[in-house]
Amino acid sequence: MLNKNILELHNLLINKETTSKSLIEESLKKSHELQAKCNAFVTIIDDAKESDITKDLISGIPYGIKDNYSTKGILSTASSNTLKDYVPFFDATAIANLKKHGAVAVNKTVLDEFGMGGTGTTGHTGSVLNPWDTKRMTAGSSAGSAAAVAYGVYPFALGSDTGDSIRKPAAYCGIVGYKPTYGMISRYGLFPFASSLDHCGVLTRCVEDAAIATDAMKGIDPKDMTTWDSSDINLYNSLNKNVQGKKLFYLKEVVDLENYPHATEELKQHLENFHQTIEKLKKIGIEVKSETIDKRLFQTIGSAYTCISCAEATSNMSNLNGIIFGPAADGETVIEKMTNYRTEGFSPLIKRRFVIGSYVLKKENQERYYLNAARVRRQIVDIMKKFFETYDGLILPVSAGPAPFLDGSRKETITDDIRILENHLIIGNFGGFPSITIPNGFIDNLPVGINITGNCYKDADILNIAYNLESILPYKNQIAGGVDHE
Amino acid sequence: MSKFTKELVESYANDLLFHLTDEENELVLKEFDEIEKNMEEIASLPNITDTLAMTHTLDDFSFTLREDEIEETPDIEDLLKNCKSIEDREISVPKVVNNNVE
Repeated sequence: MLNKNILELHNLLINKETTSKSLIEESLKKSHELQAKCNAFVTIIDDAKESDITKDLISGIPYGIKDNYSTKGILSTASSNTLKDYVPFFDATAIANLKKHGAVAVNKTVLDEFGMGGTGTTGHTGSVLNPWDTKRMTAGSSAGSAAAVAYGVYPFALGSDTGDSIRKPAAYCGIVGYKPTYGMISRYGLFPFASSLDHCGVLTRCVEDAAIATDAMKGIDPKDMTTWDSSDINLYNSLNKNVQGKKLFYLKEVVDLENYPHATEELKQHLENFHQTIEKLKKIGIEVKSETIDKRLFQTIGSAYTCISCAEATSNMSNLNGIIFGPAADGETVIEKMTNYRTEGFSPLIKRRFVIGSYVLKKENQERYYLNAARVRRQIVDIMKKFFETYDGLILPVSAGPAPFLDGSRKETITDDIRILENHLIIGNFGGFPSITIPNGFIDNLPVGINITGNCYKDADILNIAYNLESILPYKNQIAGGVDHE
Repeated sequence: MSKFTKELVESYANDLLFHLTDEENELVLKEFDEIEKNMEEIASLPNITDTLAMTHTLDDFSFTLREDEIEETPDIEDLLKNCKSIEDREISVPKVVNNNVE
């Protein structure tokens, strides 16, 4: 039953062909099944209770929550040892909104510790495996959410996205990943990583479900001063078949094969598949053009991101000291207690990021590191905004191919050539732009994705283009039916 | 020779209130060299220092201050549920002020 989308489930519930209780039982059963196979969850909420069925499309429907959202009375760890026992006393606003609409949370999903990773392998409960092939990664940081939606545990799960953390795992797991305009969904109760880049969002198996779930989560929130009033936007009702006159562009320096003198077979297929998708878009009346960029500038996206995100993370996570948050560590003095807590709790990867963040923020280093990175951000956002005066969105392939092997034995070498291809999703975070990934093919029996990013507040346009593209591709609502190596 | 040293990394770790193993320290040093290379690339971009740094995501952002109204606050017992060491509804921490201070 749970391989169906939200609308189909809602109709079954309204017509009393199934019940919320039955859906939740099925979802919990599938959660345990997937946990054994892919290690996708920190917590499975076995005592989740059904809710009343109302006209709300998501009422009575189970869903998953990334474990960096605060959930009242339910363990919320951010997949970190520093918060391994933390039970919040309040719900994040996005969760409270979903509750109001009657959705039922059935599990908390594994992420890269505090969302600070892109592999799904750094959570304190271990690596998440890709349900299409358990030797492959899901990407991250919304790893468990992506695996669970792809496996058919429920129609939607929450993610968060600071660099590409919803949209890349969505591509590797063959599903939809959508990050709305910055501030459309309140971040109150989301554990912060890098506040100027963090976005709440959703992973689903079709664009309609992404629209429905976001409509239920969004809204201005006095507890998050960066939210804005989106009450005049109804994403689901805005979906239609009219895309005539819409214009997209891609970046020649990213998608033309001639940019990759050492291209692997995988990359060649991925780019060929991208161009085939573009041809299909043109057939439904969408104009797609090639544009060029200053490659030198765009190659620095990753470095600028590292600098900005580490700086913000260092500051945001200074409250994790075992006294304000987390279980107190042993020690004779307060400083000793805090040092022991942070030394034992944070993984080496996180500590590295904090040292970098602290270094780039030092008064004597700020100009050369942090401020220069923030200037790159400005230049890239300004270029994109200029493009958006002519186009409705940017369309590019996600990553350089399908999910890599967990043991690092991916065939191709990551070289400077594919830096932009691997990092361009960060543009969406730099500018707060709405951005959606949908599946657009298979390589070696593994899914690959395509991404569309538009100007701020143009979420409805971006979703509608993705909705129409999805309708001419055969991957809508697909469930992972992959290889299990266990 | 790199301007980053083991001692420098250690001092940052101390300020950040954690210790690093030798292995972790070495990984930070390697990453610093990489970052330095990348930041050099950024510093050499044309017009970079003339650009206004972007520190906020939305530049058309506005917010109305909320009314100064009394709100319900969480129950202290709920807040203390995550604490292991409590005395009289307060969190117990080691003494901060030195005993010898008069």
